[in-house]
Amino acid sequence: MNLLEIKDLSIHYVTKEGTFKSVNHVNLELEEGETIGLVGETGAGKTTTALGILRLLQSPPAKIVSGEILFKGTDLLKVSEEEMQKIRGNDIAMIFQDPMTALNPIMRVGDQITEVIELHNDCTHEEARKRMRNMLELVGINVERAREFPHQFSGGMKQRVVIAMALACNPHLLIADEPTTALDVTIQAQVLEMMNELKEKLGTSMILITHDLGIVASNCDKVAIMYAGEIVEYGSLEQIFHHISHPYTEGLFNSIPSLDKDVDRLKPIKGLMPDPSALPEGCKFNPRCQYCTEKCRTTEPPLYEIQPGHLVRCLRYGEEGQ
Amino acid sequence: MIITMLTGGGEEQIESLENAARRHTQAGDVFRRLLNNKLGMIGLCIVIVLLFLTIFSGVVTKFPYEEQDFGNRFQFPDPVHIMGTDNFGRDIWSRLVYGGRISLLVAVISVAISLTCGVILGSVAGYFGGKVDITIMRILDILMAIPGLLMAIAVSAMLGSGPVKTAMAISISGIPASARLIRSTVMSIKSNEYVEAAVATGSTNRRVIFRHILPNVIAPIIVNSTLGIGGNIMAISGLSFIGLGVQPPTPEWGSILSSGRPYLRDFWPMIVFPSLFIMLTLFAFNLLGDALRDALDPKLKK
Repeated sequence: MNLLEIKDLSIHYVTKEGTFKSVNHVNLELEEGETIGLVGETGAGKTTTALGILRLLQSPPAKIVSGEILFKGTDLLKVSEEEMQKIRGNDIAMIFQDPMTALNPIMRVGDQITEVIELHNDCTHEEARKRMRNMLELVGINVERAREFPHQFSGGMKQRVVIAMALACNPHLLIADEPTTALDVTIQAQVLEMMNELKEKLGTSMILITHDLGIVASNCDKVAIMYAGEIVEYGSLEQIFHHISHPYTEGLFNSIPSLDKDVDRLKPIKGLMPDPSALPEGCKFNPRCQYCTEKCRTTEPPLYEIQPGHLVRCLRYGEEGQ
Repeated sequence: MIITMLTGGGEEQIESLENAARRHTQAGDVFRRLLNNKLGMIGLCIVIVLLFLTIFSGVVTKFPYEEQDFGNRFQFPDPVHIMGTDNFGRDIWSRLVYGGRISLLVAVISVAISLTCGVILGSVAGYFGGKVDITIMRILDILMAIPGLLMAIAVSAMLGSGPVKTAMAISISGIPASARLIRSTVMSIKSNEYVEAAVATGSTNRRVIFRHILPNVIAPIIVNSTLGIGGNIMAISGLSFIGLGVQPPTPEWGSILSSGRPYLRDFWPMIVFPSLFIMLTLFAFNLLGDALRDALDPKLKK
């Protein structure tokens, strides 16, 4: 059985100015111990999907229109808020984008980690503190610093604390929302390496949200490329990186400058992401697509399976397949 | 041998290190930082002296506050009556010291009431938002539309006079302002990622409010309450002045001040000494409030 199965998830933001279709018919599957990379531009619906899994979306305006989120077989959208509170932090934990703001500035970091442990485990305060010290050691922070406040830590160290907090209750699923975006490159490498080590040690599955394909290449087993709230390409790391199929994925790869060629200008994808309140008809990517045909403007492409497990949402493959 | 000793003792050593560190408690840190603030210490000293005077009023005064001596009206300060006597020949020093009891007590009680209500209403409105917020805030807007002193006059006319009733009358008009302050602070704190992170770790609403939001709102609460004590002392005097607050012969700073008003031109002690007491009290509470706010902010730690 899959640890997490998202079926046909659609999340809209309903406001007076209109309905923003942020996530549309998303399907995802994640097995125990696997890492999936969720890649896309800003506004593609990655974070909304992640917050939707934890039911952390502010409602209104957010509204989960359809779909199921099966975690170990239970639909998270149907359980009560009390049960959800038991799942959050214990079974599913989240690492936020910006470690600078993700820690309470007036609580000692040790107390913040201890609090999570005490919240989900029947243990004495002393046991929780002992476990907190183990967690700090695990993420490479000197135990004496447990009594310090977040502002006494550097950005990378704070992210370590956040990771220690997220992993303190041995969650089965870890959602990392751009965990390294706010860090500089050398610290990025350290933090990612540490996350990978811990993940393997504890057997945690992970959803890694990022817009950095390099991070995906070194960390993920599966990749889902999101565009305008849809998954446009889905497959194993190998399939995505060696058989680039969707024009959008192609554009993403082309926009990375090559090391061995001397280029003066970067090659971005032309145009902008469509307004989620007025998505184009047919294929959502058609206004920016270099292969766009008449049919693309009218027909909404389904997901075609071009290889076992490799799905692409593009009409070009439908014709080839037939 | 040495190596095994070092590694073997690791766990205990860490434990003891951390325990040593824990001896520096949060309250201890705050107090130490407060001690380093000179202005704050001046404020604290004045407040302590005031509290001492009001608690031990019987010891520090020679005359009962209500004893009239018509032969000694309008005495200027001398060694017997160190602050002189008033229009009924009562010792001004005694009246001021005893009056401090009423003024301070009523001010503190009324701030406590309005702040408690304000924190509850404001944090609920700010945290939950939506319809709850609209309902609470519109009701408070209605309260706010009535001028504070007018409200206090109406309530104390309804309840009658006396220290506790005066405190209630004044506190009601203070609720909307403090609820508004708390609400806006809670709203800005709520949008921080660490609050979202606390929800994501499975904290209940109550836990999020009490552990993560309210401790971050403590600075405006403290500043607001210290300033509120000063403002309320003024409000009490205002009520006493029009005969609704504390009734004579019970002494109260405001009523002493207003009873000296007709003699302002010829007899200054009845105006200057009560004003001095009120001013010193406000000054001391403001200094203390500022110092506490700085001491409570761990970011200002050296």
